[in-house]
Amino acid sequence: MNDKSTWEFGTRQVVYGAIGAALYGVLSWVTNIFPLPAAGNITFRPAVAVLIFFGVAYGPWVGLLAGFIGNTLGDALSGWGFYWHWSLGSGIMGLVAGLVMTQISDFRAKDQIIKAAIYGLVGIIAGMLFASLMEKVVGGIDIKTALIGYFVPATIGNVVVVGILLPVLMIAFAAVASRRGR
Amino acid sequence: MSTHPLVIENLTFKYRTRPENAIENISLELKQGELLLIAGASGCGKSTLARCINGLIPRSYRGERRGKVLLHGKDVADLQIAEVAQTVGSLLQDPERQIVASNVFNEVAFGPENLGLPRGEIVERVDQALKRLNIEYLRDRETFNLSGGEKQKVALAGVLTMNPSILLLDEPLASLDPASAHEALEVFRSLADEGKTIVLIEHRVEDAIAIKPDRLLYMEGGKIQYLGAIDNLPKEIDYTQVKLPATWVVQRVKELNQAAETPTPLAVEERGEPLVVFEDVDFRYDEELPFVLKDVNLKIYAGDLIAVLGPNGAGKSTLVKHAIGLLKPTSGRVLVEGKDTRKMSVAQIARALGYVFQSPTHMLYAPTVREELEFGPKNLKYDSAEISKFVNESLSSVNLEEFVEYPPLALSFGQQKRTTIAAVLAMRSKILVMDEPTAGQDFANYTHFMNALCQPSDGAQSILSANFAATLFITHDVDLAVTYANRALVFGDKRIIADGKPQDVLKDTELLLKYRIRPTSLLKLNLDLLPKTGKFLPAEALAAYAS
Amino acid sequence: MLVAWKYRPRNTFIQRLDPRTRLIFLFCVIFGVSIPEIWDYRIVLPLFLVSLTLYLMARIAWKDVKRVWTYILILVVFIVGLNALLSARGGPSSVTNIVSPVIFTVPLKIPFTQLGWDIPVTVSKIWFSFNQMFRMLTMTLLAIPIPYTIDPNIYGTAFRQMGASDKVSFTMDLAFRFLPTFARDFSITMDAQRARGYELESMEGGIFSRIRRLAPLIIPVVMQSTVTGEEVIDAMDLRAFGTNRRTWLKDLKYAPRDYLILGLGIFIFVGCCVLRWGFGVGGYFVPDFFTNLFL
Ligand SMILES: Nc1ncnc2c1ncn2[C@@H]1O[C@H](COP(=O)(O)OP(=O)(O)OP(=O)(O)O)[C@@H](O)[C@H]1O
Ligand SMILES: Nc1ncnc2c1ncn2[C@@H]1O[C@H](COP(=O)(O)OP(=O)(O)OP(=O)(O)O)[C@@H](O)[C@H]1O
Ligand SMILES: [Mg+2]
Ligand SMILES: [Mg+2]
Repeated sequence: MNDKSTWEFGTRQVVYGAIGAALYGVLSWVTNIFPLPAAGNITFRPAVAVLIFFGVAYGPWVGLLAGFIGNTLGDALSGWGFYWHWSLGSGIMGLVAGLVMTQISDFRAKDQIIKAAIYGLVGIIAGMLFASLMEKVVGGIDIKTALIGYFVPATIGNVVVVGILLPVLMIAFAAVASRRGR
Repeated sequence: MSTHPLVIENLTFKYRTRPENAIENISLELKQGELLLIAGASGCGKSTLARCINGLIPRSYRGERRGKVLLHGKDVADLQIAEVAQTVGSLLQDPERQIVASNVFNEVAFGPENLGLPRGEIVERVDQALKRLNIEYLRDRETFNLSGGEKQKVALAGVLTMNPSILLLDEPLASLDPASAHEALEVFRSLADEGKTIVLIEHRVEDAIAIKPDRLLYMEGGKIQYLGAIDNLPKEIDYTQVKLPATWVVQRVKELNQAAETPTPLAVEERGEPLVVFEDVDFRYDEELPFVLKDVNLKIYAGDLIAVLGPNGAGKSTLVKHAIGLLKPTSGRVLVEGKDTRKMSVAQIARALGYVFQSPTHMLYAPTVREELEFGPKNLKYDSAEISKFVNESLSSVNLEEFVEYPPLALSFGQQKRTTIAAVLAMRSKILVMDEPTAGQDFANYTHFMNALCQPSDGAQSILSANFAATLFITHDVDLAVTYANRALVFGDKRIIADGKPQDVLKDTELLLKYRIRPTSLLKLNLDLLPKTGKFLPAEALAAYAS
Repeated sequence: MLVAWKYRPRNTFIQRLDPRTRLIFLFCVIFGVSIPEIWDYRIVLPLFLVSLTLYLMARIAWKDVKRVWTYILILVVFIVGLNALLSARGGPSSVTNIVSPVIFTVPLKIPFTQLGWDIPVTVSKIWFSFNQMFRMLTMTLLAIPIPYTIDPNIYGTAFRQMGASDKVSFTMDLAFRFLPTFARDFSITMDAQRARGYELESMEGGIFSRIRRLAPLIIPVVMQSTVTGEEVIDAMDLRAFGTNRRTWLKDLKYAPRDYLILGLGIFIFVGCCVLRWGFGVGGYFVPDFFTNLFL
C-alpha cells in the first residue's frame, strides 16, 4: 500500500481498472432502472462517486480505464450505443482524481478526504468539459448550448453525488484496508 | 542437494504490518506423488506457508523471510514468476475469485496464453486438461453460470494447463456441498497417484482423510505441532480447532477423561398457532423459466429450530425468501402471523421475521457497529429510546459490547457474522432465518458461534430461545443439523421431501444420498448409539455412551 | 437482477464484419463530418442514408430499441431546439451572419418581469436545425447498434489487434467477466437491506438525503469488490500474467467485406476533408428552394 507510484501499470492496475469499470458500468445501469429524482435535466449518477473513489484509491490509470470502459459498459447494458467522447470524459474524471493517490495515506483523515474531493471536483469539471466540448464539435451545437445542455447539468449532478458519497466510501475503505496489508 | 520437488528448510516469515512471526521454523520435504494434508485453526499460518511455496512471498507480500523454499532444488525467490507458475499450480479458496475469463475455454487457456505459447499448443493443452477432469462438456459454457463444483473443476483445469509438478490447494472445499466436495477430493487423490506432489490445506480433516493423505501437517501459532502419518491417530490435534471424525473425538475425550459437556437441551416443542404457513406454494422466477417451488406446504411453530438441507441450486434460498416477502408465490400463499405476504411490505414482515444473509459482506456498511445495528430499527420506525435499548441488549447477547464504536468492516469474519445476527436481533423479530450461517468460517469459530447462539450460558436462556420464538437455518453441514436442530427438512425436486425430528429424517441414508447429502461420522455414530442416548448429541457428549 | 447483454448472434452482413472494421468506420464518419465541419445537406443527406442502410442491415428488433430511440429523439429535439434558440451567434458563424428573413420571434422573459430577450427565429436557423438533426442521427445510427451486434467476448482481442497493449486489452475482458458478478452482488445486497426494513423507493427527504440513503446499497458491493481484487491479483500473478507477450487465442482477420467497408469509411473521411478544404464545398448555406418556401 505504501511506496505507491502514480504511473505504475501492472497486474494491480489491470485488476482494479477492470473491477472499477464493472462497478461503474453496473451502477450506471442499475440507477437507470431505479431512476433518481431528476430536477430539470440534471440527472444524478451515483456511480460517479464509485469511479472517483477508484481513482483516489488506486491511481490515475485505474481511474482512466474504469471510467472509459465502465461508461462504455453502462451504455452497452442499457442499450444506448457507443459514445466515445462521453466514455473518454468519464475516463478523464477518474484519471484526474487518481492524481491525488500518492497524497492519501489515511482514508479517514478529514483533510485528506477534502483533498480527494477537490481532485474529484477538478476531475468532474475536466471530464464533463471535455465531453461537452466534443459534443459541440461532433454535434455542431454552439458553445452556450453545450454548456447549458450538457456541461452544467452533468457537472452539478456529479458534484452533488461525489460530495455526498465519496467521504462515506473512503471511510468504509479505511476500515477494510486496516484488515489486510501487503 | 536433494532433488525432491519441494524442500522447505527452517522457514520463518513475518508480515511487515505485524509484530509477530506468521510462520516459524517450518522444515519439510515432499516426495514426488506425495499428498500432504495441512490443518490448523484459522490464523495459524497455513495460507502464509502456501504463499511462501508459490512465491507470492517474497514477491507480492513484503516482510522478513528467513530460511529456504526449494522447488526441485532451486530457491523459489531466485526463480522467475513464470517458472514458478509452471512448477507450482495454486488453487485458491474461492474459485469465484480465481476465475478471470467469461467463458470456460478462455479461462482454462489463460495461463498458457500468458506464457505466449503458440495457439495450437494452447488448444491442445486446454483440451487435455478438460478431458483429464471429465469436463469437456463445459468447454463452451460461460463461467458465471457454473455451479460451485463446476467452477472448482474449471479453476483446477486452468492450473493443470501449466503442467505443474506440485499442486497447492488452499481450502478448496469451502464452498461446496458434501457430495461435490467428495468428488473434488477424489480428483486430487488421482492426480497424486499420477505423480503430482500435492499440498492440501483443509479445515475439514474428516472429509480430507477419506482420500488417505500420505502425511498430515498440523500447525499451531505458526509452528509445526505434528508432522507424520495419519494412521496412528495424532494426539496432538485439538479436536475443538479442526473438524475430526467423531470416533477420534470420542476416543480423545475418553483418553483425556474430560467430563462430557452437558448435552444441548433442545427447545421444548410447544405447538400452537403456526407462525409461518406455506400453502400450496408454486414459484418460478420468470414465465419462461421452470418452476423452482412446486406444491410446497410448510408450517413453522413456536419452539422450532429447523435445519434445511438439500443440494446446491435446489431452491432452499428461494423458499426462505418467500417467508420474508422478498419473493411472492406464483400461486398459493404464504402467511406470516396469519397475514398474506402479498398484502404486506418487506419492511412490515421484517418486524416478525428477521433474515440473516449468508455473507456479512453483503450487508455491512455503517461506520460503527452501533450505527449498523440501528439501521434496521430506524427503518422500522421504532422510537429512539427503544432503539438504543434494543441495540445494547443485542450487542451484549452476541458479546460485542467492546466493539460498539468499531467499524464493522474492520472486524474479523466471525465478528462480522455476529454483527449481522445482532443487527437482526435489534429489530426484535420473532423468527430468525439464517442462510448458511457457518459457511466460510473455520470449525472452531463456527462451533463457538453456534454454541453461543443455541446453548444456554450460566443458567440464562440461549440467545435463540430468549429472543426468538422460532429459528430456521439453511446448511450444507449435516453435523449442524445433528447437533443443534430439533427439526430437519430435506428440500429437493422443488418440494419438501422429508420433515421431522432430526433422528427420524436423517436415519434414511438412501434418501440423504439421493439429495447429495453425505452421512458424516457423527451422524453414523449417533445413529448407532441412538438406542442408548435417545437423541442426537455432539461428539464430546457421545463419549459417555460409546463403548 | 441478472445482466442481460444486448448482443445476440445474428446471421447478418453487419455481424460478419470484423469488430475493428465497425469501430474504424464509426470514427471515419464521426471525424469526417465533424473535423472539416460539414454542413452541406448534399453531403449530410447521403451520409445519413448510408448510416440508415447499415442500421437497417443490422436487423435489430424494434422492440429492443424502442425506448432508446424515444429517449434519443427527445434529446436530439431538445438540444437542437435549445441550440436554435440560444445560438444568437453560434453554430457555424454563417448561420446568423447570413441575412435571413425572420419568421417569428420567441420572447424569452424571466417570469413576472420584463427582463429578457426577444429571440428571432430565422429561416436560416430553421434550416440549420434540420441539418443538425440529420447530422446527429447519422452518427447515432452507427453508434446504437454497437452493443447489439458486437460479441462482448471479442472486445479485448479487437483492441489488442488495433494496437492497445496486452494489459489494457485484458482489462476490457476482465471487466466483462466481473460485470455479472457485481450485478448479482448488488441484487443480493438489495435483498439483504430490504430484509432490514430498508426501502429505496420511499419518497421521503430531499435529494441530498435520498442520495445519502444509497450508501447501504453501494458500500457493501464496493468494499467486497476491493477485497476480491486482492485475490484476483494473486490468482493472475500465479498464472504468469504480464510476464511474457500474451498469445490471444482468438485471431481476427480482415475479409474482403471488411476492406470494402473500411474503404468506404476512408473514402468518406478523406472525401469530406478534400471537398471542404480543397474545393471549399460542404460549408453551411441555405438553399434557395428552402428560403422560397417562406416567401
Ligand atoms: N496480508 C497480510 N498482512 C499482514 N498479516 C497477515 C496477512 N495475511 C495474513 N496475516 C496474518 O498472518 C497470520 C497467519 O495468517 P494465514 O492467513 O496464513 O492463516 P491461515 O492459517 O491460512 O488462516 P485461515 O484458516 O483463516 O485461512 C494471521 O495472524 C494473519 O492475521
Ligand atoms: N434471481 C433469479 N432469477 C432466476 N433464477 C434464479 C434466481 N435465483 C435463483 N434462481 C434459480 O433458482 C434455483 C434455486 O436457487 P436457490 O438459490 O434457491 O437454490 P439453493 O437451494 O439456495 O442453492 P445453494 O445451496 O447453492 O444456495 C436455481 O436453479 C437458480 O439458478
Ligand atoms: Mg488461509
Ligand atoms: Mg442458497
